[in-house]
Amino acid sequence: MKNSLKARLLFYFSVSMVIILFSMGFVLVTSLKLQRIADRRFEDEKFLQELKTHLSDLQLPLEHYLSTYSSSSLSKLLFIMETLGSSVPSARPVTSDESDLIKREIYFLMDAYLEQLNQIIEQKRGRKVQQYIQSYDEIINLYRYINSRINAVSLIGFRVQLEEYQNFLDLFRRMQLYNILQILMATAFAFSLLMQTVNNITSPMYQLSGMAGKLSGGLFDIPDVHLSSVNEVNQVAEAFNDMKHNIHHYIEELQKQKEMEQQIMKERVRNLKMEQLLKRMELYTLQAQMNPHFLFNTINTGVQLAIVEEADRTAEFMENLARLFRYNIREKQFFVPLRHEIEGLQSYYNILRIRFPKTLKLRLDVDDELLDRFDCPAMVIQPLVENSVLHAFKKKGGKGTVSVSVRYEDPVLIISVRDDGVGIPDDTVKMLLTPHVHDYQLSSKVMGLENVIQRCYFLYPDQKDVIDINTSRDNGTEILIRIHTEVQPCIRL
Amino acid sequence: MNNFLKFLSFFFGAVFSIFLFLSISLMIRNPFISGNNNEGASVKKYNYAFFLPKADASFIRSLRQGAADAAKSLDCAVSFHPIDSDPLSFEMACFSGFDGFGLYLYEDDKKKLQQLSEILKKGIPVVQIENEVTQSPGSFFIGTNNFDVGKGIARLALETGRKKINMVLVYSKKNPGVITDGRLIEMGIKSVMGERLSVLRTEETSLNPLDAEILVHDLLNEESSIDIIVLTDYNDTLVTVQSIIDMNLVGVVNIIGFGDHETIKSYIDKGVILGSIVRNPYRIGFSTVMALKEISENGYTSAYVDTGITILSGRMQ
Repeated sequence: MKNSLKARLLFYFSVSMVIILFSMGFVLVTSLKLQRIADRRFEDEKFLQELKTHLSDLQLPLEHYLSTYSSSSLSKLLFIMETLGSSVPSARPVTSDESDLIKREIYFLMDAYLEQLNQIIEQKRGRKVQQYIQSYDEIINLYRYINSRINAVSLIGFRVQLEEYQNFLDLFRRMQLYNILQILMATAFAFSLLMQTVNNITSPMYQLSGMAGKLSGGLFDIPDVHLSSVNEVNQVAEAFNDMKHNIHHYIEELQKQKEMEQQIMKERVRNLKMEQLLKRMELYTLQAQMNPHFLFNTINTGVQLAIVEEADRTAEFMENLARLFRYNIREKQFFVPLRHEIEGLQSYYNILRIRFPKTLKLRLDVDDELLDRFDCPAMVIQPLVENSVLHAFKKKGGKGTVSVSVRYEDPVLIISVRDDGVGIPDDTVKMLLTPHVHDYQLSSKVMGLENVIQRCYFLYPDQKDVIDINTSRDNGTEILIRIHTEVQPCIRL
Repeated sequence: MNNFLKFLSFFFGAVFSIFLFLSISLMIRNPFISGNNNEGASVKKYNYAFFLPKADASFIRSLRQGAADAAKSLDCAVSFHPIDSDPLSFEMACFSGFDGFGLYLYEDDKKKLQQLSEILKKGIPVVQIENEVTQSPGSFFIGTNNFDVGKGIARLALETGRKKINMVLVYSKKNPGVITDGRLIEMGIKSVMGERLSVLRTEETSLNPLDAEILVHDLLNEESSIDIIVLTDYNDTLVTVQSIIDMNLVGVVNIIGFGDHETIKSYIDKGVILGSIVRNPYRIGFSTVMALKEISENGYTSAYVDTGITILSGRMQ
């Protein structure tokens, strides 16, 4: 409640008004005081002049009474005497001020005058002619002296006032200057207080509007607004912070949802692709089933013919070829035991040895323990060897070597196919290692290799290093397949 | 922005307070407002009136100063009135409510004496300054014993070593108190000088400060046997000295001056003036107020106070 806008405005307004009213009141009091001072300067003078007038008023009735013995003159005389007597102050303090001393003297002289007047009236009543005539002379002297003393004190007062006048004017001007400056400062003070209050309210508003602008720009990581303004503004800031958090949370939720949808879409596209691939494979398989069976039967016939004709090497060649065909035809699954893959490779090796007895050296390095322990994607090693045999040694003379090794580096099964051929150009490697849907426009020269690579990517979509090609010009090529044994392939048939 | 406004508020508030403080302090300090313009406004117990010659002589000024200082230190008020130029003032004195009088009467004026007796009749204490014109209960004297003044003059005169001395004693209206008691001075001179005083002639100067010059010229022109001129006023002393110098009679005619002004002292040092009689008017004024207050409070004081004289001479240097 204390910090509310209403309370603050009320407080500052009250403070400002009090200060301004105080200043103006002070100015008023000062002015009145100065006026009173000015008045007081003439009060004594006025009083003395009144006394003088009373004294003067007494002269005529006195003369009239003494000359005519008139009762009306006497009553008038007595009335003025009474008035005069009550006018003369009884308190007559002694001070060292000259004017005060003369005034005191005047009051005593007035007492003497009134006493003598009474005496004259008594003498007149007693018909003491000689005495009242003498007393009259004396009282006239006293009257003149009193007048001269009043004039003297007036003169002194006038001189003093004249001396004081400049000082009084200086004082008055200085007081006025201070008072005006006081009012100006009080007004400025009140105005600055008001501006401070307004600023206390508007400044947080500007801050809030700036924050709102940032929020509208999608910047939700801005820190919370903490204001020390009036309660109302502080509440707005808190509400703003809550709103910011809520919007942030809501947008995060929306983003998550969107990501999930994208994931689902991706998954769906992949499934569609896979479906397409499967259908295509199925089609290929169906197409291929015709010729391989025919070829297989033909090769078997050739094997029997070679045995009958006692052509042992031909028979061995044909037998290996038939074994390789049988493996190819038989393995319709995506994954096969490593033993089957190696057996297929050995058949292929035997064929190659017969084909290239002098120019090709083949090596196989596989630990027997691994053969039954792990599976591997079907038909991956033979195409790689075939790729090396077909392309690695074309422009290279001499004897080429192709080495296949399989090793296990827990938990990764590493299949390496290495040759010491001419190597593969970098751009081809880059293109090959880019995951993509099979493109039949690609050179048929690398089709087997591409097939293996894309299949690996397909089966292990989250394992980017599932296949790698290390090659350099004239220093051969090594193709590495890394099968993470703890990671399940995306499809397993 | 907010800090700037806070600074502004503080600044204006501070300046406002300064002007408020200045206003209030001006009001408090200013005698018009605080009522302190009347320095002597504090209430005193007694009010004494001094009736003095109007002559603006240093003697009277010093006497007034002594009385005023005594009034300040003894917490009473004094007022000064002319005794010669405004007879009505003295005439009305007994009606004026004064608690005591210091009177410097120097003439045998019947009216003044009558007025004095009126005052004494009313039981108001009176101190007669320098000249005791009347002796009555309630009247007291404070001043210099003029007989002693005469003796002092004579001693100075004897220092000249002259066997027979022709002396001129010049009174002055500028110092009227001496005129009244002139006889006492003359007696004092005669009592000390005896037969060595050949002639004692008396003269009087007016209030004109240059009157002594004419007098000295006339005296020395008409009578060349004058040995010593005695002055009873400071102004007359200075004028006479100048005349003697002008007439080239320094050392031929000796001067006995009056007062302790620095110029007179320097003339004494140079040997132009034989010596100077110094009374103490300040002490006279001060003692008068003291005596009046004592009478007001206790009803009595010493009936006779001699404030003494001092003789300045070359021998004393």
